Amino acid sequence: MEDEKMISDIYAIYLREILRLWRQKVRLVTMIMMPLLWLGVIGNAFNSVMNLPTQGDFLSFLTPGILVMTMVFTATISGITTVFDREFGFLKEMLVTPIKRESILIGKMLGGVTQAVLQGILILILAIFMGVKFSGAMSIPGMFLTMFLVSIAFVSLGLAVASKITSMEGFQMVMNFMIQPMIFLSGAFYPTTFLPDWLKIMVKINPLTYGVDAMRYFAIGVNEFNIIADLLILLIFSITMILIGGHFFRKS
Amino acid sequence: MPAIEVRNLVKRFGSIVAVNGISLEIEYGEIFALLGPNGAGKTTTISILATLLKPTSGEAKINGYDVVKEAAKVRQSIGIVFQDPSLDDRLTARENLDIHGRLYHMSREERQRRIEEVLEMVELLDRADSIVKTFSGGMRRRLEIARGLMHKPKVLFLDEPTLGLDPQTRRHIWEYVEKLRDEGVTVLLTTHYMEEADYLADRIAIIDAGKIVAEGSPSELKDSVGGDIIKIKCSDAENMLKKLVSNGYDAMLVDDEIVIKAKEAEKMIPKIFAIADEEIKSITYKEPSLEDVFIHYTGKVFRDEEVDEIEASKMKWRMRR
Ligand SMILES: Nc1ncnc2c1ncn2[C@@H]1O[C@H](COP(=O)(O)OP(=O)(O)OP(=O)(O)O)[C@@H](O)[C@H]1O
Ligand SMILES: [Mg+2]
Repeated sequence: MEDEKMISDIYAIYLREILRLWRQKVRLVTMIMMPLLWLGVIGNAFNSVMNLPTQGDFLSFLTPGILVMTMVFTATISGITTVFDREFGFLKEMLVTPIKRESILIGKMLGGVTQAVLQGILILILAIFMGVKFSGAMSIPGMFLTMFLVSIAFVSLGLAVASKITSMEGFQMVMNFMIQPMIFLSGAFYPTTFLPDWLKIMVKINPLTYGVDAMRYFAIGVNEFNIIADLLILLIFSITMILIGGHFFRKS
Repeated sequence: MPAIEVRNLVKRFGSIVAVNGISLEIEYGEIFALLGPNGAGKTTTISILATLLKPTSGEAKINGYDVVKEAAKVRQSIGIVFQDPSLDDRLTARENLDIHGRLYHMSREERQRRIEEVLEMVELLDRADSIVKTFSGGMRRRLEIARGLMHKPKVLFLDEPTLGLDPQTRRHIWEYVEKLRDEGVTVLLTTHYMEEADYLADRIAIIDAGKIVAEGSPSELKDSVGGDIIKIKCSDAENMLKKLVSNGYDAMLVDDEIVIKAKEAEKMIPKIFAIADEEIKSITYKEPSLEDVFIHYTGKVFRDEEVDEIEASKMKWRMRR
């Protein structure tokens, strides 16, 4: 009975997140434009500058990286709804209803994950149209598993940040100084083997590196580390982030 | 058991004492107003009762449940309209109500039926499927009231329900609150509009700087200031005065008018007519306003800007008609 109630509470919070997303056409357009820009323009530009032998190959290498990057952005930014909720009073409305705090948290997390995974699927479709062939082992389920783990980790991070930081500007700061370095040091855009040693260490301690690696493994069968290690590290990272996110959210 | 029971409630924010030992007892079905100026501690009190803030000390029970120890049961018993907006303005009116109903575990049929009912009541049924962003301030306020009532709470908190609304919308909201009286909902409302408290409330507590300085029905409060003033003009004032004084009235002659201090003028006037065989030319009386009450108990005037606002809104009201 209690569990049933909790599920319907989570669903109510989730439903609202999705309705909001659906209403904000700008966000939807961004979700489509961002991968279009990255894959279509930048991917092709890289291709010609680098003058790689086969067109498809570099794009195939880049696609999993862009997939992870866009999802990380979308996932983290989804935390901003919590800043809005506080600012525009809806948080109070949720807090006076009899639902558990955990339900609000889980509903919001699932909303963010849905958005990020949806973003991922859009990129996949787009990439297929651009001639990228997904040929890795366990391609589809593996990619979805990785997408889920990456997005829930960064949705949680976004929630943690949003619970601590009350202004939009602060949120942007964290995005720029935390998320962007993580992405650039994850091997999303270039193989990390040519980097100097001190940067290699940064790459190795960056959990996102393993997300990109796993995605690349499932998508095109290319990877640097052991896939089991990748997934384990990702899993531990996600669980840690969920706990941190939950902690800050409850405290705020 | 009272619907709301508050004992020695205290809330401090650092060095600020926002609520300083408030005690209240509000019966089921009562409409009770907390009347006080800006910063008096009204919102803080409501927030504690609605389980959004923990009291520093003291205790409060809503519908028999302790606001700290039994917060979940309190939440199930109450509805609230916040002072500040709290709707999701990207959703439609119907969606806002639907999500709210879900959070109170109402069944689909129940939600659908109740959405129609509450929207009908606040006259927004025709805008049910418009996005809230397109609503005017008054419409949003009405929707918030509808949402507060959606799950049929036993106790409804209204924090400044008509703040910043034009007089017409204010009247409408007063009418909804009056309807709640018929439905037996207990209402605790805060306001700094005297006329609002006067018009709506069965009982009023005047709150200033975190303390309740006076409490009672509007007429009790006014009487406590010293009662009404009745003025009579008549053909033979001297004779009339003698009769009144010999009947025990507190009367005197000022110029050619008889001035009587009365506890309850409405009841006294018929009696005066009964003992007067002189021809009464005119009879007038003035009740002290809640404003007089406030001044009497706090030694302060309500801030000028607010009085001006009320005056300005009265002006608008008159001009419209
Ligand atoms: N979160 C807070 N932190 C610090 N001080 C606060 C906080 N909330 C309220 N106060 C202070 O407590 C006092 C009472 O505020 P409250 O909001 O309860 O007043 P109010 O009667 O609702 O006033 P108004 O008519 O302006 O809404 C004020 O001095 C206010 O500055
Ligand atoms: Mg207030």
